[in-house]
Amino acid sequence: MIKLIDLTKVYKGFCAVDEINIDVKAGAIFGFLGPNGAGKTTTIKMMAGIIKPTSGQIIINGMNLAEKPSAVKQYVGFIPDRPFLYEKLTGFEFLLLIAGLYRLDHTPLFDHRISELLELFDLSHWKDELIESYSHGMKQRLVMCASLLHRPGVLIVDEPMVGLDPRAARLVKGIFKEQASNGTTIFMSTHSLEVAQEICDEIAIIQTGQIVAKGTSEALRRMAGVDGDLEHTFLKLTEGKRLGHEKFLSAH
Amino acid sequence: MKNFYLLIKPRFFAFRNQLISSKGGKRKRIFILGGLGFAFCCGMFVVSSRVLMHFQSVEVIGDLVARYLLSMILLTFFSLLIFSHIITAVSNLYLSKDLEFCHSTPVSVEELFLSRSFFTLMDSSWMLLIFGLPVFMAYAYVYRPGAGFYFTLLHMNLAMIIIAAGAGILITMLLVYVFPAQRTKDIIMFIAILMIVALYFLFRFLRPERLANPDSFFSIMEYLSALKAPQSPYLPTQWITETLWDSLTVPGGKNHMFAVTLTWVTALSMVVINVWVAQAVYIAGFSKSQEAKKRHTVGTKILDVFVRCIKKPFGEDLGAIIAKDLRTFFRDNTQWSQLILLGALVVVYVYNFSVLPLDKSPIKLDFLQNELAFLNMGLAGFVLSAISARFIFTAVSAEGEAYWVISSSPMRLRQYLWGKYVYFLFPMVFLAEVLVIVTNYLLDVTCFMMFLSSIAMFFMVLGIVALGIGFGALYANFKYENIAQLSVGFGGVLYMIVSSIFIAIVIVLEAGPVYILFTSDASGTTVTAFQWLLIIASFLMVVLINILAIFKPMKMGLKALREYEG
Repeated sequence: MIKLIDLTKVYKGFCAVDEINIDVKAGAIFGFLGPNGAGKTTTIKMMAGIIKPTSGQIIINGMNLAEKPSAVKQYVGFIPDRPFLYEKLTGFEFLLLIAGLYRLDHTPLFDHRISELLELFDLSHWKDELIESYSHGMKQRLVMCASLLHRPGVLIVDEPMVGLDPRAARLVKGIFKEQASNGTTIFMSTHSLEVAQEICDEIAIIQTGQIVAKGTSEALRRMAGVDGDLEHTFLKLTEGKRLGHEKFLSAH
Repeated sequence: MKNFYLLIKPRFFAFRNQLISSKGGKRKRIFILGGLGFAFCCGMFVVSSRVLMHFQSVEVIGDLVARYLLSMILLTFFSLLIFSHIITAVSNLYLSKDLEFCHSTPVSVEELFLSRSFFTLMDSSWMLLIFGLPVFMAYAYVYRPGAGFYFTLLHMNLAMIIIAAGAGILITMLLVYVFPAQRTKDIIMFIAILMIVALYFLFRFLRPERLANPDSFFSIMEYLSALKAPQSPYLPTQWITETLWDSLTVPGGKNHMFAVTLTWVTALSMVVINVWVAQAVYIAGFSKSQEAKKRHTVGTKILDVFVRCIKKPFGEDLGAIIAKDLRTFFRDNTQWSQLILLGALVVVYVYNFSVLPLDKSPIKLDFLQNELAFLNMGLAGFVLSAISARFIFTAVSAEGEAYWVISSSPMRLRQYLWGKYVYFLFPMVFLAEVLVIVTNYLLDVTCFMMFLSSIAMFFMVLGIVALGIGFGALYANFKYENIAQLSVGFGGVLYMIVSSIFIAIVIVLEAGPVYILFTSDASGTTVTAFQWLLIIASFLMVVLINILAIFKPMKMGLKALREYEG
C-alpha cells in the first residue's frame, strides 16, 4: 500500500533523509521510530505532500505522489505533530472546510458522518465554539476527526499521542486499531515506545536519516540481541550515535 | 537593578545574533530596507526644508507658520507615541510568550515591569527617529541654530518619549486591570482605529493647506489669531515647542530652565507613578490576561448568509477556503476594523478632488481637468497598491501555521492561488472604478477621458492584484506574530516598489496617445498615420506589460509555494 523507494531529502547540502526504502502492507499499522532530529517528520511531510523529496519515490495505493499529487492526497489522511488550525473557525466549520477541500458532497449522510466523528472524539459539545478556546488535546482530536472525515485508505500520523490525556490516548489507540482492521493502512511516527509496541504490526527505526532496523518488535529485539521491552531494543539499536545534525534540523 | 539588566539582555543578544548570523539574502534584505529607510529620510528632509524655506520667504507670518507647524508636529508625535505605547504595552507586558517564564523566576515585579516598559519604549519610539529626525534636521538646516539646539532636541525629545511611554503604559495597566488582556487589545485596536480616522477627517476637513494661503482667510487678523491660538499650557508639547523654537531662533537660546525642569520632572514622575501602579495592579492584570480566549461567536447567522452568497460561484473546495477566509476576517477585530480606515481613505480621497481650486488655475480648464483625470489614475493606482499591500499581499501568509491543511489537501496550488486572485479581483475592481468614476465626475472630465480611465483602471487592477498575490506567495511567511507587519516587511516593500513601477509604466505609455488625441482635438487637426502607429504601439505595450504583470508574479509565487519547506 505504501512504498518509499530511495527516498532522500537534502537541505542545503545536509542529508536529512538518506535513501530510505520502506514497504507497508495494506491494513497494517507501521511504526516509525527514531531519536529527535533523525528525519521522521521530514519523511512524514514528504509523504503528506507538504515538502518535495530531493530524490526517490513515494508510491501510495499504486500511485506516484510526484505524478498524481491530488489523487494521492485524496486517498490519504494526514495528522501533523502540532495541531495548528484556523483559530477563528469553530470546530464544525473547520470540518466543513476539510469536507470542501476533499470535495465531499453535502448530504444528510455526510452530516451524520460529522456528528459520528465528533461524538467519537468527544467533541460534540464543543463543535460550535471557536478553535482558539480549545485545549491542545482537543485541537489534536479535532485534527484526527478531520483526517478521518473522507474515509482515507492511508493514514499518515506524526506523533499522535503528544498532548493527549490517558483517556484520549486510549481512545486514539482503539480508533487506529479499528481503522486498520477495516483495511486502512497507518504510517505513524512516535516517540512512545509503549504505543509502538502495543499497536504496531511492523516498526522501522530511523537514525541520522537512515533506516537502521526494520521488522516486527520481536525481530528488532533479536536484531539488537536484547531481552525485555522495546525501550531496551531501541536504546541498543541507536546507542553511541548522537546526532550531529540535530542542531541543523532544529533550525528548519 | 541587576535583574533589570539581565532581563533586557536577551533582546540585545537576539539583535546582535541576528546581525552576525544573517548572511547572503538576509543581509541583502537588511541593506535594501536600510537603504529605503535612508531614502525616505532624505525625501522627508528635502520636502520639509522646501516647505520651511517657503514659509521663511513670507514676511511677518512665515516664522509664525513654521512655529505653528513645529507645535503641530510635536503634538501629533506625542499623540501617536501614546497610542503606539498603549498597543505595544499590551503585548510586551501581558501577552508575550516568554512572560510565563519570566514571572516564574525570582525577579521582583518592579524589575520585570521596568524591563518590559523599556522594551515597550524601544518598540514604540523608533517611529520618531524615522519620521521626526529629518523634519527636525530640516528646521536646523533652515534656521542654522547653534549646538545648543541639538542638545535641547535630544534631551527634550527623550523626555517627551518617556512621558508618552508613561502615559501609554499607565492607561494599558488600568485597562487590563478592568478587562482581560486579549479583549483589551481588541478594544484598544478598535479605539485606535476610530481615533485615527477621526483625526484624519478632522485634519483633512480643517484644510491645513489654507495656512499657506492667507488670502483664504477673511482678514489677516483672523489668520494671525489662528496661528497664535495657544495650546494648553499643561501640555508637555507646549513646553517642548517653546524651548526648541527659542533655541532655534534666538542666538544663544533663551533661558528655559522652568520649561526644561517641568518636562523632566514630569517624565521622571511618570516613571515613579508607573512603578507604584505596577506594584498595585500589574500582577493582578497579568493573571487575568492568562484567561481563556473567547469561546463564542457573535453574529454567526448574518455572517453565514454573507459567506454562502460569496462562496457560491467558487465551487466546493475553493468555496470552502473563501468561507474560511471571510469568517476569519470578520471574527478578528484587528482585521475587519481596518475596513473603517479604508473607508476613511476613500472618503478623503474623493473629498480632495471636490475642494480642488480648478477655477484659480492659470491653465485652461478643459485641459487641466483631463490632465488631472490622468494623474488621478496614477494616484488611484497607488492607493489601490497600498490597500493591496495590506490585504492581498498578506492573503497567502494569512493561512498562518495552518497552511499544512492546504498543502496536504488534494486541492492544486495553482487553483488555490488563482482562486485567491479572482476572490480579491472583484472588490478591487469595484473600489478602483468607484474611485476613478466619482473623482472624474467631480472633475467634470470629457466622456472619452471617463471611458479611457475606467478601462485603463480595470486593466491596471488586474496587474496590481496579481502582483499582490504573486509577491505574497513568493515572500509567504506563515509564522508571523502580527499579520499587518508583513506588509511593511521586505516582501511588502518590494511589492509596493514593483507595483508603483508597473503603474508608472502604464501611465507613461498611455500618456503619449492621450496627449496626441487631445492636442489634435484641441487644434482641430487630424491624427497622422505615424501618430496612429505610435498610439497602437503604446497600447500594445500596455497590454504586454499587463500580461507580464499578471502571469509572471503568479508563476513565481506558485513556484515558491510548491518549493516551500516550512
